[in-house]
Amino acid sequence: MNFNYTIAMLLIALGFYCLLVKRNLIKLIIGLSVMTDGIHLFLISMGYRTGGIAPIVTSELSSNLSNFASRAVDPLPQALVLTSIVINICILALALSLSIYAYRHYGTLDPYKLRRLRE
Amino acid sequence: MVGWIWDPVVATAAILLGLIAAYGLLRIGHKIAKPRPTVEKMKTYACGEDLKPEETHPDSEQFFSPIRRVFRPFYRYIQPAHMGVLSTYLLWVVVGFIIILVIILLTVR
Amino acid sequence: MIPHAPILAIVLPLFAAFLMPLVGLLSKRYNAAKACDWFAIAAMIGTILLVADMAPTVWGGHILTYKLGGWSPPWGINLAIDGLSIQMALMIAGLGTLVIIYSAGYMQRDTRKDLFYALTLLAITGMMGIVLTGDIFNFYVFLEIMSVSSYALIAFRRDSNAIEAGIKYLFIGSLGTSLILMSVAMLYSFVGSLNIADLGAKLATYREGAQPVPAILIASLALFVTGVMIKVAMVPFHAWLADAFTAAPTTISALLAGPGAVVGIYWVARLPYLPFGLPVGIILISLGLLSMVVGVLMALTQHDFKRMLAYHVISQKGYMVLGIGLGTLGSVLGAQGGLFHLLNHSTYKCMLFMCAGAVLFRTGSQKFDELGGLGKNMPVTALTFLIGALAISGIPPLNGFVSKYIIYLGGVEAGLPIVTAIAVLVSALTFASFFKAFSSVFLGQRSERLRETQEAPKLMLFPMLMMAVICVAIGLLPALGFNIVGPAQSAAENSARYISQVIGGI
Repeated sequence: MNFNYTIAMLLIALGFYCLLVKRNLIKLIIGLSVMTDGIHLFLISMGYRTGGIAPIVTSELSSNLSNFASRAVDPLPQALVLTSIVINICILALALSLSIYAYRHYGTLDPYKLRRLRE
Repeated sequence: MVGWIWDPVVATAAILLGLIAAYGLLRIGHKIAKPRPTVEKMKTYACGEDLKPEETHPDSEQFFSPIRRVFRPFYRYIQPAHMGVLSTYLLWVVVGFIIILVIILLTVR
Repeated sequence: MIPHAPILAIVLPLFAAFLMPLVGLLSKRYNAAKACDWFAIAAMIGTILLVADMAPTVWGGHILTYKLGGWSPPWGINLAIDGLSIQMALMIAGLGTLVIIYSAGYMQRDTRKDLFYALTLLAITGMMGIVLTGDIFNFYVFLEIMSVSSYALIAFRRDSNAIEAGIKYLFIGSLGTSLILMSVAMLYSFVGSLNIADLGAKLATYREGAQPVPAILIASLALFVTGVMIKVAMVPFHAWLADAFTAAPTTISALLAGPGAVVGIYWVARLPYLPFGLPVGIILISLGLLSMVVGVLMALTQHDFKRMLAYHVISQKGYMVLGIGLGTLGSVLGAQGGLFHLLNHSTYKCMLFMCAGAVLFRTGSQKFDELGGLGKNMPVTALTFLIGALAISGIPPLNGFVSKYIIYLGGVEAGLPIVTAIAVLVSALTFASFFKAFSSVFLGQRSERLRETQEAPKLMLFPMLMMAVICVAIGLLPALGFNIVGPAQSAAENSARYISQVIGGI
């Protein structure tokens, strides 16, 4: 289980690195997306139970519900991550369309050159 | 003894009364000496020069130069930091987060 | 009380936002020019009526709990409305209506107004959801709804300044909400619940200091505080606000500066008590002081009208955070001053942005060097700007004086007179910069090309005059504001009553 958390923290750190250092707006968007994916991985791995089963009550499991509840993986983080993935797709689409307009106005996608509003 | 002067209702009434008295004095003054503004009188005096209205406008950057001189060590660090680069702003967020983490660690433990 | 009023207050602007493109299509078919504006205004007036209907119950001391879908907390999502939420909801609904009436006049030369109103109503939905909800992940979802709508609204006119401001706000804002998501994830892994009242009950042992605080709770609190401070735009997280308010259409600046400030300060007021309850007072006081000073000193050197007003927003929000921070040190006056300052600031800051928008609408420029002598052409705008400038500087008998005076007293009451000294100095510098703004724009000689500027249209003057009346009324009769702010401050502090009434009252 620690493997999941390590990879999640690594993804978040890589995402931060991309956001702070890279000089292209598309790379910044990729960094933001990688960072939020790291947070989603962290959230899902929290609900995992070793040797658990999927949290769906089928007909053969519905007879012994307490046994099912002690063996099933937590479904709530999965619902949270689904919501968050949808929200981040919206932000990604908006960021990409704003980058298209920025390229039309400025001719470059370098955040060090998008500086007309200064001071 | 004079505690009633600091009563808020009395203070507000005194302010409003003062405003009305000032307006009354202004009206009396206008009745005695009628104001006759001409274009020449309303223009800003520039030692006899003929200035266009745009040139008489105070420069908005230099308006508070004494305050800039007094706070110069402050402006030397803050103003170049606002130069509009996105990566610098994101770096501040990370630095601010680390400082807040350290402060909470010190106050809670 | 209207049944289901809490959820209807969120659902009404949401459905109006989704019906808006249909209304736009119908208005083009039947050639009704202003149908979109009237539909949006009707939706907002409905929201005000719903919120005003909930207010007497909440001010009677009874926390309204609404269970979504009939599922009781902590297994279901519930809306919990106490005194603090009702103050914020009243401000969002009231000021939001005035901003939409203003935008009916301001956006009359723009096309695709149906999309504009859809996004604005979505932003208002997000704000109402944040202040009315009782579940922490629901708060994250509504925060994202409000944030994404405002990223799109800032870049609405798609000129180069607006796109650049939208991109900067998008990156810094998304980083902030990702930090809040990480904090919610850590809280859930530690406690096992997402309901704010339930979290408060389960974390109560750490609040009293009975057990040592584990590291995951410290990390979660730090992430949450950083995320909220990015939203409130405290220094050093403030960089997006100046650009965003300069480049946005002025109605959006007024919407984000007035009602938009409410959601950040709502969570800052809850932070020391629910759901963590750990001491964050020193962070609030230091960030508040830093923002006050940096905001006003940067505002003194601006040559753009809206950018100066944006830096003043940062400075005044510093006052509010400072007041709430003083409240954690035991000063009741400080916390009341912070919440009262939120009420006053939203009113007069909305009004100031509307005056800047009126000048921009009629003359086409927002830089001080190109304006001058407009006092004769636009007398009503000049009068409301004067009232707003006096209010923001804390001059009696206007409302800014009341809240600033309470914050000064709170500083002395909490045992930190240096805070009062710095606050008074910042007020003086605020007055100086508004003196410069008023004399540059409205006094002085008028240049030739501005000779034909007319007064702003009536639809824009009406909200400005309403807000000026509110400013003067609260200034002369502060009891009007205290009736709203007093229950808010006691509700924010009294987290035990919140927990017992939301969970105990199933």
